[in-house]
Amino acid sequence: MNSSTAYHACPECDLLLKAALPDAGEKAHCPRCGLLLARPNKQSVERTFALSIAGIILFFPANLLPMLGITMMGNANTGTLFSGVLALFNEGMEAVAVVVFLASILFPLVHISLSLLISWHLYFNRFNRYLAHWMRWMHHLDEWVMLEVYMLSIIVACVKLMSIAQLKLGCGLYAFVALIIINTLLTSGLDEELFWQRIQQLRTRKNNAN
Amino acid sequence: MRTKMNALGQGLIRCHDCGYLVKTEMKMSSCPRCDGHLHARNPHSLQRTTALLLSSFLLYIPANIFPIMMVNQFGAGEPHTIAGGIVDLIDSGMIPIAMLVLVASIIVPASKLIGISLLLLCAHFRWQVNARRWTTMYRLIAFVGRWSMLDIFMISILVDLVNFSGVQIIAGPAATAFAAVVILTMFAAEHFDPRLLWDNQQNSYE
Repeated sequence: MNSSTAYHACPECDLLLKAALPDAGEKAHCPRCGLLLARPNKQSVERTFALSIAGIILFFPANLLPMLGITMMGNANTGTLFSGVLALFNEGMEAVAVVVFLASILFPLVHISLSLLISWHLYFNRFNRYLAHWMRWMHHLDEWVMLEVYMLSIIVACVKLMSIAQLKLGCGLYAFVALIIINTLLTSGLDEELFWQRIQQLRTRKNNAN
Repeated sequence: MRTKMNALGQGLIRCHDCGYLVKTEMKMSSCPRCDGHLHARNPHSLQRTTALLLSSFLLYIPANIFPIMMVNQFGAGEPHTIAGGIVDLIDSGMIPIAMLVLVASIIVPASKLIGISLLLLCAHFRWQVNARRWTTMYRLIAFVGRWSMLDIFMISILVDLVNFSGVQIIAGPAATAFAAVVILTMFAAEHFDPRLLWDNQQNSYE
């Protein structure tokens, strides 16, 4: 290849480093700027595979079941993630509705689907020429998945409504909380460097077989 | 200026997408490992960040003076600005939650705007600074940005739930401006390249 993987560069200060991969459970920081460079996990591929399946399953109850119920002056109303988007859309706040839809529904779904696809291929040692594309999309989507921010705004909304109405937590909310936990474990346990190395191995094996 | 310890000083370019190191002399435009576009530093980092930052400065004004939501109670509308919502929370005794909203929707966006401006000035005028400290500031700005979406999500929940014949909550014009500020500053932080801070240091050997 054109360059060896014996060296790394820090993404934020460009310091050239000898690639000393820490053991599972340990952390490697950049000695110059202090950035967390790597935190390898045991069996990152298997773990990602399992967590992505759990995430995909949880995604449906979290989105389809009512999250919050409200009773006010004898009237009752329930809300889901998508009904919030629709309510904004119907009021003429299309731009905000699209942003909420992307950050709380579409991007999380795409992110989990991509990690499922990638880890499935790596787990079963299947090569696919789109693997690198999927990896890059997932890398860039990471920041725009805002499930935990949404959770915090549910809490703030509940506090605001508590004094004027009766609130009821729905099953969807429990699924949503579980989805956030799964998603956090998923992103923190995903060892990108390991994934890239595995993809490269699969590619060289494919090329040698031809 | 580019020290021997920098990957670029050693003739290596780090792929922005996958971290693979490629020799500059290969003159490749895409990474051999991930096919991503190769560039030594983010292209037009300072120009793009400045453009995004100026737009968010402008949008920050309507985001704060216009009402972000309106509570319609039996025909009488009551507009709430971002600051007004926090005052309401304090009045009803919810001090911790009021602090949370204050941090997420006022302190974070304001300090992001100021912080990115300082980073831009530092990179442009090649200030000699403690680059490690400034990189930490950059990291904080990049990490904290998404949490400002809290207010936007909360509006979507409130608008959806409080929709009765007697009482209604309606999103105000500031919501669009505020969402735009949050997203533009997130893009600005993404386009800023903290490695520029290190490139400018005369003695970055420590």
